[in-house]
Formats: sequence, structure tokens, C-alpha cells
Amino acid sequence: MRWITLLGRTGTVILMVGLALVLFSLISSATEYTPGFREPISPEEYQIVHSGVYTPQTGFQISVESTDNVHVYLLGVSLLEFDNWKTRLAEAYPDLAWIWGDPLVMPMIFVREAYPDLDAPQMPDITDLDDRQIPDIMDIMWNIAVLDKGLQTHPEIILWESPSSTTLSHEFISTDELYITVMVANPSSHTVQVETKITDLTALARKQRVIVAARLLIPIGVALAIPWLISSKVRKGTLRQRNSS
Amino acid sequence: MGKGRPFLEIFTCALKEDYRFPILEIFAFFFALGTFVFADLGAYAQNGEALAYSLVRTLWGFPLFFIFVVLILKNVAYGLGSDLDKGVIQTLFSYPLKRRYILTAKLLSALGIALLLFLGIQIFGLFLLAPDVILTYSSTVFLTCAAHLCSPALLLAGLVLLLTLRLKRGGFALIIGVVLYLAFTIISPWAPSIAYATGSDLALKIWAVIDPNLALQRYYLGTIWFPSETWAPSFSEVLLYLGAGYLIVAALFIIGYVYFERRLGI
Repeated sequence: MRWITLLGRTGTVILMVGLALVLFSLISSATEYTPGFREPISPEEYQIVHSGVYTPQTGFQISVESTDNVHVYLLGVSLLEFDNWKTRLAEAYPDLAWIWGDPLVMPMIFVREAYPDLDAPQMPDITDLDDRQIPDIMDIMWNIAVLDKGLQTHPEIILWESPSSTTLSHEFISTDELYITVMVANPSSHTVQVETKITDLTALARKQRVIVAARLLIPIGVALAIPWLISSKVRKGTLRQRNSS
Repeated sequence: MGKGRPFLEIFTCALKEDYRFPILEIFAFFFALGTFVFADLGAYAQNGEALAYSLVRTLWGFPLFFIFVVLILKNVAYGLGSDLDKGVIQTLFSYPLKRRYILTAKLLSALGIALLLFLGIQIFGLFLLAPDVILTYSSTVFLTCAAHLCSPALLLAGLVLLLTLRLKRGGFALIIGVVLYLAFTIISPWAPSIAYATGSDLALKIWAVIDPNLALQRYYLGTIWFPSETWAPSFSEVLLYLGAGYLIVAALFIIGYVYFERRLGI
């Protein structure tokens, strides 16, 4: 009897884990919709549209639509090298460390290499309107010339470069641990409206694994729980009969 | 009759009390759902180890870990407390078994099974969500789990055990345990603020002894974006703080055992 109880309770626990996985897959289906975002890119400037750490077997699909021809760059840098870049920036601009997050590391390193003279700027004094060094860096950073120079210096980081086009789509699955940055560059002399949509391919693969696991766990849980449920029902019935007689 | 059979008797009795149907199933459901919902695979990271650390850390956050802490505190305080209150422990003392084995059987049910459930579901969930991260950085995952488990989970369980044995009543000990957990989560972020304000690492080091996760967090996530005076321990220091944390936990449980054996007054 104790073995049946032990297996039965194990079965009900497995069943509940399986049901939790089903609920999770339903929740993730409901939140799977990836909203596209539309924004203008100024003439001869570029923007970061997506960035993050990708481990092997993780990836995304990017779709870009624009009102004029744009270039899309998929850049990947090893986490070790990315860490080195961050250290270099922190040393070069110690007072600015709190301003930028990871997504700005790549453009900042491009600026640093293209304009080494803009060294160690002081924090802007809000009472001193002449202090323009930080705004200068930010203005230069998004210039397409800075991007071109950066890519010439680090050609190894280019994982994919799109042809000049208004409609683009690309799937990326990482084979290594990389910090990925997707940039859209506007080479034209007028502002271009760009609509970007990123679909997480990793989440889709993950959901598939969760569904497969749920399909395995639920029958196992039910199979283990049934003998215990039947025996406890029979026992309760016997007790009730004894009490009534 | 050997020692094994009465030990198993007490253990199964404790299991039946601690995990009445469907308590275990409800907790299993919430643990599993929480693991998948709260796992943040896009966690901030500088490198793979930091990614593994951040990923595991998200699972030991407030809602999921709070459920786990409530389960173990309920088992330790309410389970043991009601046994002391109702005189069940007196009956158990008539078993041909040393007192320490009786407490071991109770704690094995209260903490062991809860831990097995929580860690089992977490590891299974992580294997499904990010198998490459877990397989590549298994030592990081192990250390992160060990640090979070040490404090506040086992630390609070030890304190609540002492309180329950002293008061011989579970309800009050349970409330104190939950209050202590909330106080712990509120006080925890103060250490870096104090260190930043004073320019000294002392507050961080003291808190890292109580909560080794702070040392681990500093080691994996680094201090690159913080002012240079903040503390970044080496790996051997992290192990040292983890060991110190477990020593405190072990001391609390040893005091509990000694009290249960010699000073319970039953």
C-alpha cells in the first residue's frame, strides 16, 4: 500500500508539473506576438535596432521594411572581446561609465577608435552651457562614417551584411557565445522611415521542448497516479460501508 | 527491530503531515510554472558564466523563492511546532530511537523533500530552457544554487527551528520566519549603498558572510560599471564566504540538535 501511495503521489506531482508546462506554453503563445517598431533614421546615420547575448542554438529572425534603401549589419563579438571593449571604455571615459549600457559599447568603441582625440571628457556641468564634449560624442557616434570606419577596423565582427534594399529578412542562429548587435544604416541624403520586427527563434524552440516534455509527463503522471487514486477511493468506500453498518 | 524501521516510521508520519494531499501537488505546480515564467534568458551578462549566474538567480527571486521559503518554514515551524504543542513528540520519544534521529527524520521531511522538489523542478526547467548554459556552466549553476540556498533559506530554517523548539509552538515562529525573510530582502540592498556612501568594503564583507550570494554576485557580475573602490572578490574568496555562510547555518542546526536532545524539557 505504501509503495502505491509513494508512486501515486509522485505521479500526481509529475502530472502537476506537466500541467504547469501546458499552462506556460499557452501563456508564451499569448505573449509571442512581436510588435514591430517604426522610427526615422536621419540622413547618413545609423541606429541599433537589436542587441543582446546569444549562446549556441539561440537566435532570432529580423525583418526590416523602409521607405528607401538601407543597409542592415548583423555584428557579433565574443563575450571576452566585448568585456575588453567595456574595460577600455571604462578606462577611457571613467566619468561616463553610468551613462551607457551594453548596447552602446560597440558604437562607443567605434567612436573611440575613429576619434581618439575625444579623450576622457569631463562630466557636463549643467550650469556651463559651453561644455559640449559629451553631446559631441553622442552626435558623432551615430554618423555612418564612424560605422564604416569601425567595420573596416573590425571586419571579423560582421556576421551578415545586407544588400542595399527596402525589404529585408534574415534568420540568425548563433554557433558561439556572442554579443550581437543589429544596426540599420541610412546611406541616403534624406530621412528614412524604418520598421523593424524581431522574432525570437529561441523562444519558439524552447516552447517546442516544453510541449514535448508536457506530452511525456502528463501520461506518466496519470499512469502512476491512477492505482493510488483507485485504491484510496476503494479504501474510503470500505470505511464508509463499515461506518454505515 | 533495528534503527531503520522506526526512523522510516517517523519519517513517513512526518511526510504525511507535512505534505497532505494536495499541498505537495500545489507547490509542485507553482514551482514548475514559476520556473518557466520567471526564468530570464535575456539576463544581463558579461560572459557565459555571468549569464548562467544571472539565469539561475532569476529563479531564486522574490515570488518563486518566497513560495519555497514559506513551504520550508511552514514545515519546520508548523509541523514540528504542532507536534511539540500536541504532545506527539512525547509519543515519538517512546520509539527505540535516539532523539537526534527523530529530529533528523522530521527535518528530512520538512527540508529534504521540499528541497528535492524545488531543486529538481528548477534543474529540469533549466535543462529545457537553456540546456547549453546549464551543461557548460554546471559549476556556476551549482555554486549559485548553493549560495542562495544557504542564505536566506537554510539560515532562516535554522533560526525558525531554534525559535520553534524554544517556544514549543509553531504559529508565532512561522510569522517571525516570514518577517525575517522580508526583512532580509529589504536589508540586503543596503550593504552596497553603505559601502558606496562610506567608501569602505567592510559592510559588503560583513553582509557576504551572512549572505554569500553577495560575494558570488560581485564575482560573476563584476564591478566594472561601479566606482573603483567597490569590492570584487576572487574565486577562492567566494568559496571562503560560502563556507562561512554554511558554517553559520551548521552552527544553528547543531544548537537546535543539542537543544532538542538535552534541553527540550520533555
